[in-house]
Amino acid sequence: MAIPRDMNAPATALTDVPPARDHANPRSAIAAFLTPALLIYAAFTALPVARTFFNSVHLVVPNRPDEWVGFTHYAELWTDKIFWKAVHNTLTWAVAAPILEVTIATLLALCLYAKVPFARFLRVAWFTPVLMSYVVVGILWMWILNYDWGALNEILRGIGLGGLAQPWLGHPATALPSLIGVTTWMWTGFNMVVILAAMSSLPSEVLEAAELDNCGWFAKLWFVILPLIRPTLLNLVILSFIGKMKIFDLVWVTTRGNPLWSTETVSTYVYKRAFQWSEFDLGYPSTIAVVWFVIVLAGVLLLTAIFRQRDRIEY
Amino acid sequence: MTGKTLAAATIAALAAAAATGASAQELTLWSHWADQTAKVKFVEDAARAFEAAHPGVTIKISWYQKEPLYAALKTALSAGQAPDIFYAETDQTEYMKTGLILDLKDKLNWDAIEPWAQEVWGYDGGVYGFPLEAWTVETYTNEGMLEELGIAIPVDGLEGEAFVEAVKTIAGAGMTPMAQGVGDRPYPGAFLTHEILVKRLGKADYESLLKGEGVEWSDPRVREALEYAKEIIDAGAFPASFSSIKLGEAHRYFHTDPGAAMLQMGSFYPSRAFAAPDAGGQPENFALGIVNGPIPPDAACPQCKTIAVGGSFVVNAASEHPDLAVDFLNSMATPEMGNAWLEANLVQTGIKADPSAITGDKADYFKKLAAANEGVTYTYGIPVQQMHGTARETFTQTVNQAFPAGLIGVDEVIDMMGSSY
Repeated sequence: MAIPRDMNAPATALTDVPPARDHANPRSAIAAFLTPALLIYAAFTALPVARTFFNSVHLVVPNRPDEWVGFTHYAELWTDKIFWKAVHNTLTWAVAAPILEVTIATLLALCLYAKVPFARFLRVAWFTPVLMSYVVVGILWMWILNYDWGALNEILRGIGLGGLAQPWLGHPATALPSLIGVTTWMWTGFNMVVILAAMSSLPSEVLEAAELDNCGWFAKLWFVILPLIRPTLLNLVILSFIGKMKIFDLVWVTTRGNPLWSTETVSTYVYKRAFQWSEFDLGYPSTIAVVWFVIVLAGVLLLTAIFRQRDRIEY
Repeated sequence: MTGKTLAAATIAALAAAAATGASAQELTLWSHWADQTAKVKFVEDAARAFEAAHPGVTIKISWYQKEPLYAALKTALSAGQAPDIFYAETDQTEYMKTGLILDLKDKLNWDAIEPWAQEVWGYDGGVYGFPLEAWTVETYTNEGMLEELGIAIPVDGLEGEAFVEAVKTIAGAGMTPMAQGVGDRPYPGAFLTHEILVKRLGKADYESLLKGEGVEWSDPRVREALEYAKEIIDAGAFPASFSSIKLGEAHRYFHTDPGAAMLQMGSFYPSRAFAAPDAGGQPENFALGIVNGPIPPDAACPQCKTIAVGGSFVVNAASEHPDLAVDFLNSMATPEMGNAWLEANLVQTGIKADPSAITGDKADYFKKLAAANEGVTYTYGIPVQQMHGTARETFTQTVNQAFPAGLIGVDEVIDMMGSSY
């Protein structure tokens, strides 16, 4: 209940009344809500990132104070053949996989959009691989690609193409393409569902107008549907690109970077340098992480610039 | 109960608890071998025996797989949170370099430990590890299959072309001469090549080669050794699925499915193969042989072979109970414990033991193992235990994998290894 203010009260009494809250600028509420999130962010994201940058210019060994080494690690990285092999493999993967995934996903989404028979079943079947972890997928495909009894070689032998049977993950020429195939198999369904959702939300009047203009199915796809879902495709390409630039689990489960570093990725190399090289120094692995962070960031910015929509489509 | 009585009782209880806490000591131990029940039982039994002999002391053991253990130790040691005792292997010189583990030179009962094991753990004048597990690189043979093919391999091994011809005969009969795989380990694929290298070069030059201190990979003797290994590989020694076969699968490939004539493997072979057949062990009545070789032409040391000290325990230099930790290790350094290890794990140990004292159905195996190691000169540690950094990584990728898989030749091995130091 509001307390009526005594208009004859002295001015000093009026100053005792707490000032009315400025609801347009609730600083304390903003601070109260933001602080926990900021603290968590600072502790688990900002600080580790800052520490990684710090480590990259130091020799970080237990029982010894961190030793400033300047850009020694960066110079060493420049001549590190394994690192550049890993960069090459990762970039190959990050460029090839998004193209494959989004292209195949678009075709599958079109099938479902056109309501092919068993569309519901196919949607679930195609989407299922993404529900599995990389570890499970890795083990599954190691079985499929096994030289002696793997399904792929058994099929090849069964249809008289036994000469093509080979250790898919054991040869430098086939190991990386095989793994790219595995990630494509795994992620295409996810991309398909997102693209299908984008197609389903297209404005019907635009599609109908195209039909009234006697637009064929391919022209409708090329000039109407794809431009309209372009932002979705761009986002999927960037998401896939980032995912492949960081890929670790699948490689670790299946090949560990073998044979002859043909499947070495930057993430597996960082792990090997940090934990498997009989060295305690975290400086050099941190340098790799910093350099890679910059490259990934540059890649995302580049992709965004390339795909930037110059003329906004309006409908 | 009055308030005063209650307060007095509480104080007494707290004092008693504090007193108990002061005398109670807990040793922590982190170890690999989570899935190797015989080793787990051996260490757990030793811990319980130590606790019984030292009232108030408890030993808390955490079992890991090797890689998660190493990752956990790396962060725990950096953070000062590592256990009192932990599992280590002789290649982990970073522990000694950084002063993270205790020098045990004047602390362990070295009289009960093999001199070679002491040598392997030596670093910069100190000795740092308690060598529990040791193994030699052996050539196991499937006697039944060899007999069927009319091939006889003496315990001293076949030399030069005789071994190559044997491989060709086996492969020509549609069988696999040597089961092997590198699907999950960085070293078994290199057994063939490094055992040929050590025989061709002799112990000192071989160790010099691995360390990059003197003998180089372009040395003509190294080339000859690699060419001999290549001849064996090209004769079809290994299965086509070599790259993906895992260590355990190689065992099964050799003795059961599809079967192979030979298996070069660490003498930890029985830890898997002597399990029941339905648990992955070799079939009943499997005729197992152990031989030396193959021996390259012009071998400087035909009787040289590798002995590796595997799982060992080290003491954290920052431990609050270093003496107690050493006492626990010494409680395992007795001939009785050495024999108990042999009997339970069927693999050698750095603790002095007497294999001839082993009786029962495994006695025959230890006799064969002793015969294959009669008069042998050992080099200590497989190459990945003697090498570090880029050289080790390159060795793993080339000599361990690509070379035996037939993906690269002798020239590539020499180039890549030569430029890796």
